Amino acid sequence: MIRRTAFTVGATALAALVVAVLVIWLRPSAPMSPAQQAAQLDAQLRCPDCQGLSVAESRTSAAAAIRSEVASRLAGGQSPDEVRAYFVSRYGEWILLEPSSVAWWLLPFAVIGLGAVALIAWLWVGRRRPAPPSAPVSPPAAGVAERVREEVEALDA
Amino acid sequence: MLPTLGHAAIVVGLATSVFAVVAFVVGGRRADATLLAAARRGIYLTFGLALAASLVMVTSLLTHDFSVLYVANNNATTTPPFFSVISLWAALEGSILFWTLLLTGYASLVIYRYRDRHRQLMPWTGATLAAIATFFFAVMTWPGNPFIRTTPVATEGPGPNALLQNNPFMGLHPPLLYLGYTGMAVPFAFGIAALVTRRTNEEWLAIVRRWTIVPWIFLSLGITAGAWWSYEVLGWGGYWAWDPVENAALLPWLTATAFIHASMVAERRGALKVWSSALVLATFVLTLVGTFLTRSGVVASVHSFTQSAIGPWFLAAIVISLGGGLSLLIWRLPDLHDRDRPAATVSRESAFLFNNVLFLGLTFAVLFGTLLPLIVELFGGGTISVGAPWFDRVNVPIFLALVFLMGVGPALPWGGTSWKTAQERFGIPILAGVAAVVLVLALGMRAPAPIATIGLAVFVAVVMGDEVVRGTRVRGRARHEGPPTALWRLATRNRRRYGGYLAHAGVLVMAIAISISATLGTDATATLTPGQTMQVAGYTLTYRDFANEALPDNASVIEHRAEIAYAGPQTGTLTTALRDYPSSTTPIATPAVRTSLGEDLYVTLIAYDPTAKSATLHVFVNPGVMWIWLGGGILGLGAAFAIWPDRRRLPAEVAEELTAPAPSAPAEA
Amino acid sequence: MALDQAQPSRSWPRGALWRRLRWIVVPIVVVPLTAVLFTGFGRDPSVIPSPLIGKPMPSFSLTALDGHTVSSAELAGKPLIVNFWASWCAPCVQEHPVLLDTARRYGERVAIVGILYNDTAEGAAGFLARYGDGGWPDLLDPSGGTAVSFGVTGPPETFFVDASGVVRGKQFGPVTADVVTAQLAALGVKATP
Repeated sequence: MIRRTAFTVGATALAALVVAVLVIWLRPSAPMSPAQQAAQLDAQLRCPDCQGLSVAESRTSAAAAIRSEVASRLAGGQSPDEVRAYFVSRYGEWILLEPSSVAWWLLPFAVIGLGAVALIAWLWVGRRRPAPPSAPVSPPAAGVAERVREEVEALDA
Repeated sequence: MLPTLGHAAIVVGLATSVFAVVAFVVGGRRADATLLAAARRGIYLTFGLALAASLVMVTSLLTHDFSVLYVANNNATTTPPFFSVISLWAALEGSILFWTLLLTGYASLVIYRYRDRHRQLMPWTGATLAAIATFFFAVMTWPGNPFIRTTPVATEGPGPNALLQNNPFMGLHPPLLYLGYTGMAVPFAFGIAALVTRRTNEEWLAIVRRWTIVPWIFLSLGITAGAWWSYEVLGWGGYWAWDPVENAALLPWLTATAFIHASMVAERRGALKVWSSALVLATFVLTLVGTFLTRSGVVASVHSFTQSAIGPWFLAAIVISLGGGLSLLIWRLPDLHDRDRPAATVSRESAFLFNNVLFLGLTFAVLFGTLLPLIVELFGGGTISVGAPWFDRVNVPIFLALVFLMGVGPALPWGGTSWKTAQERFGIPILAGVAAVVLVLALGMRAPAPIATIGLAVFVAVVMGDEVVRGTRVRGRARHEGPPTALWRLATRNRRRYGGYLAHAGVLVMAIAISISATLGTDATATLTPGQTMQVAGYTLTYRDFANEALPDNASVIEHRAEIAYAGPQTGTLTTALRDYPSSTTPIATPAVRTSLGEDLYVTLIAYDPTAKSATLHVFVNPGVMWIWLGGGILGLGAAFAIWPDRRRLPAEVAEELTAPAPSAPAEA
Repeated sequence: MALDQAQPSRSWPRGALWRRLRWIVVPIVVVPLTAVLFTGFGRDPSVIPSPLIGKPMPSFSLTALDGHTVSSAELAGKPLIVNFWASWCAPCVQEHPVLLDTARRYGERVAIVGILYNDTAEGAAGFLARYGDGGWPDLLDPSGGTAVSFGVTGPPETFFVDASGVVRGKQFGPVTADVVTAQLAALGVKATP
């Protein structure tokens, strides 16, 4: 009884939490300070002479040069999109750590969604078809029982 | 003289493995015991030959025999013995040799172990393993010969790759990883054998699961060790960058984990034979794809190897194993019918199967993200990057969903459940999870990922704890045992379940540690002259002095060392350095890491000015990192516990009956 | 258990169409994967084509080693080689004789300017003293901003700019005599025999 009450309480609390999170998340956010904008951009730009690190994480001179360029362009009034476009115009698309098109990261979720749907369909089809009646089992032939015992031992591989 | 013997061993190995393939196939079809015995001996011989070749290479490295090209490229007279030995896997040809050694070792072990049993399966298993060995011996005979000689013989070499000899961890990470990779050939071989002989029943599943879990443990430890190495050595303060080579190691791990879970449903129900076979085949193919990505130079990465001639060979191997395995599966599809198909939408089976959907989703995401730059280029779209932000965005939600299933799955009964049972099982855990989230929010944490992870982890922990406590209590009451005894006896009689709990506990520890260390760390960079201090998150670091010296055990390496004193939650001194290796044009950072259970103080030397004696330091305070490595260890321990052979053999159902928690016993039947 | 009983349950998929077409699954799976993995062969993953080709050269105004200022505007009107290099970079040592030779062969018809990448005046001076000074200006770029504006990932990188100031070619890594001849020929400049 306690467990069932706990479930009701817990589920209600969870629902309240989810609603609260959604409200906070979907609230129009305060505009970012230039430092925050710079930090966000730095995390999106790839360090040109590292292996896959962002300009924010890397301490090479190229990364430092890019960080200062980002900061000065933002201070000069450019928007983050314009700054990104500038770097793409000089280095190419690969300077962005993430492909700009949204479709790419939705694809794995689409695959999972399809998989989940296929799984549920598979389970439901199994449910509708009742298990076939098993054929009557005749007693095993002479040597078969021996072999069965042997193979059962062998199962403990 | 010795290198020639090494090369001869490889060529003889090639011939022997070809013989073994033929002997296994012919002997199996004719049920010819003598031929099969000869085939088995052939496999043992290939192991002996691979061992001989490896010993020759190690000896050449230890004696700095620069007449061997591999030694000339990867060794120096000043290289310490430990690093000479581990240079066996320092570069391409040597690592292929090491791989062959481990593969033939596994093959010999498996063939020997089952030499008197499973008479239908073993010939084909042996043939497949021998065929894989043939491939590797062939690679070593032609494109990747480790014993190529070079004249004139140099008197000095550049030494091993600087990153390799900077840290003794390199003695641990590749062997663990390779034991994982090569081990996946065994379930693959059993899978091929089962499909060829049409014996895809529960016998096959039990063997294959055991022989998947063993390399899986090594692969898990190897990946964890790789992350640890990356953290301790590369100096960027992180441990995982979704680098193509890191992803390559993760891919077979994901499909193998999916298989381990699916096989439990398959064993129970005699269903999912197609799915299980496909997963086993996919795991090995992904191992080859991973090796290809690492070795062919096709994608740039931390492990950058230049493009080598073996790339096309590995591509051919991938095509053959994928195409062949898939064809075999399609051919035998009519034999792979389900005995008893799960039907409930909410049951342990369906939870395990949803887990598979998520793991395969992860596999797709990681593979797709790694290959997308190549795909875009193939279609003329130029060069793009797919880096950590993309992978984190996609993979973190999937991992969180998996953590949730980890709690729900084992607590659901087989076959289906009622709403009432679900409420009873999950009521308190949900409450605990929500309470944990509220607590953590009240304590000031605002980052979403750690909060969600902690909430889910508490939920899962309470579910598991509930099951363990109830089981222990029931057994203690029934057998009049004290709690510790009851728990131990319960666990050892239900190794699969309790090993699973322990492994899942390891996952929880890692999940929390990763989410905390990734979001709650702080760092700062400063250029200091001797005597100056800097502050990072409660630590005060004082830069003391600078030194330029050769290493005591390797005179060719010059170390530029900054000595630093630190005070705060930990106190002490540390040195961090940049090292000049003869084989590298840029200096290699040697970060200093001071670990405690709570957090790591991590200091890297970025640059120094020898005249002003100033040093530029990048200091991190990373919370919880230690727990990532500990969690990995717990994961391995849990899996090992699960497959540890039992002295007493109780049929699984009887064991479960004795220990099932009383309220839900009817639902379990 | 071990003996697999043939259950009357149906196997899936079934049907004559499947039997005829099932093998097509194999190439559908294998060919795309192979094609993708095959793409990578024969090219260096660290070489990325430059988006600057066909665009005007980024402008700059930097101080040379000898102290005076050089701006990109002054260099217009002639085909130009812009070479990013550093004294600590080993391939730069390799390509330096090629550049010296280029200056000699093409003389006044081609301008050369070097821009230092993350380097000091002392380091550069030492390099030139050791390997030869070709006489063209070497400019210091202390903030690295010019390198960023050119999209340079690391030395050596060389840009080939035509007389009207449009970038026509880029070389990753050290230049060779063949590369220089070909790139300059594309700019319309032939060597003096």
